[in-house]
Amino acid sequence: MRSPKEKTYMKKARTPKEKAGRIALYVFVVCLALVVLYPYFVMFTTALKSRAEIYAMKGTLLPIVWEWNNFTDVWSLAPLARYFINSIVVAGGATAISIICGIPAAYALSRMRFRGKKFFLGLVIVSQMFAPVVLLVGIYKIMSMFHLTNTLVGLIFINAAFNQAFAIWLLRGTFMSISPEMEKAATIDGCNQVQAMIRVLLPVAAPGIVTALIFVFINAWNEYTVALTLISDDALKPLTVGITTFNGYNMIEWQYLFASSLFATIPVVILFVCIEKHLVGGLTSGGVKG
Amino acid sequence: MKKKKILRAVSPYLWLLPSILLMVIFILFPIFEVFRTSLSEVSRAGIIKGFAGLDNFTKVMKSSAFGMVLKNTVVWTIVVVGLSTVSGFALAMVLNNEFRGRKIVRAIVVFPWATSLIIQAGVWKFIIDSDYGTLNTLLMKLGLISKAVNWTPTPEAYFAWECWVGIFVTVPFVTFCVLSGLQSIDASFYESATVDGAGFWQKLFFITLPLVRSSLTVSTVLNIIYVFNSFPIIWTITKGDPANRTDTLVTYLYKQAFYKGRTGEAAAISVIGFLILCVCASVYMVLSLRKEEQDA
Repeated sequence: MRSPKEKTYMKKARTPKEKAGRIALYVFVVCLALVVLYPYFVMFTTALKSRAEIYAMKGTLLPIVWEWNNFTDVWSLAPLARYFINSIVVAGGATAISIICGIPAAYALSRMRFRGKKFFLGLVIVSQMFAPVVLLVGIYKIMSMFHLTNTLVGLIFINAAFNQAFAIWLLRGTFMSISPEMEKAATIDGCNQVQAMIRVLLPVAAPGIVTALIFVFINAWNEYTVALTLISDDALKPLTVGITTFNGYNMIEWQYLFASSLFATIPVVILFVCIEKHLVGGLTSGGVKG
Repeated sequence: MKKKKILRAVSPYLWLLPSILLMVIFILFPIFEVFRTSLSEVSRAGIIKGFAGLDNFTKVMKSSAFGMVLKNTVVWTIVVVGLSTVSGFALAMVLNNEFRGRKIVRAIVVFPWATSLIIQAGVWKFIIDSDYGTLNTLLMKLGLISKAVNWTPTPEAYFAWECWVGIFVTVPFVTFCVLSGLQSIDASFYESATVDGAGFWQKLFFITLPLVRSSLTVSTVLNIIYVFNSFPIIWTITKGDPANRTDTLVTYLYKQAFYKGRTGEAAAISVIGFLILCVCASVYMVLSLRKEEQDA
């Protein structure tokens, strides 16, 4: 959907004052982009330096010798591939569970009237209020009860539970923006409610669902605190915890830390840029207008 | 016939069931456990020995570090959320203009939001390092400083840098919430205001702010919760050291629980954090549910 106000043409600056404003705008925007990109520039250039150069007295902006093999070396210096797989399993699993639980909940919240609907909506909001870090003591306890400490399954469930609220919120907003008429027609044609939802609503709601999927995936991918607490086995660490291997007690191997950080960052940044537009639309339409 | 009626009455709850189960087991139960632990005497191994009343709370309150930790938490939350909201709002106003390359800039602004906090904080830790940090190198190359500056001479300086990183990663969220609000404002409002002779500030206060208020409310309240509970930035840069000078409630409780084995006290700190956040949560609920009623 394109709003009519998103003009593609440029407003021509006419007066000198307007021209000065244009120039100021461009200067500001360029500076802004440079500041935002600065840490990524540092990450990239440092990942290409040798350790000696990083710790040298006289700092350099760009590497003197471009150590491209840092990017290949990290894979053997730490079980980076293992961490990658763990991150994919945790983020993928959490996404699947929170969407599988979230879709029917969002469907009921957008299509049905029932007692306690407001209460449930309130519960969804409240659950969003509590970050896992405040509940770690309790989470640790329940995880030991189910023997899920130091397992990926435990991480999957915690991430799913804490991201579910957002998924429900986004999905409900999407479903509410779609007219229920089509589903009604489908039920008259003999579909039951579940079939009508799957065959009629979900295909139309696909953009919203993809947004929710990617959002949960990124959140679970970037999660650090719970993984740090629950996982002690090196072979089970996700990337966020695993890369801190290079953050040793005496000496930080910055070049390897940043090389692996880049591998962990690039995929999610790309995903995020793809959904950026939909996400905020969903955020405010689902969150504010209800 | 009767069976069908029951089914219809129950069916909404069946749709909600998976989601309710997930929430009850992995969120509500831990909440219950934290409260129970906070009121119990707990051994170092984490075994509950019996009811302890408010002992854990008094121990926490009495400890010398707690006052500072609480103060840090408040400063951290207010500074990060406050400055992020103001600058995110200003940024949204700028990005709402038409200009060449706007799409690219919007994509770039999203970067810090998408990057794991632990990685973002790690980079900044490197940038500000007083021995080999690249901020000094950059500023010297640009000719802005002549010799290396120690950017972190005191714990307060570290804390200020942590706030900066917090702001850096929070601004994109505010910007995008406000942007989506701004884009729903009809341009004709501004045109007629200009015709009536309204200046920039008048347009800002009488048109823009009232119309993006709801977007700002959502982003502010959510940010208060996220920032209050933010753990990785401080953990990566200083771990709350030296001597709790840069600790906030969450890093402090983490150390109590998993380094010092004081589970009971950690749970009590969690509960104190809850109570503070509950105030925010109820404000949020009142605001958003009231909105809902207005729209219904």
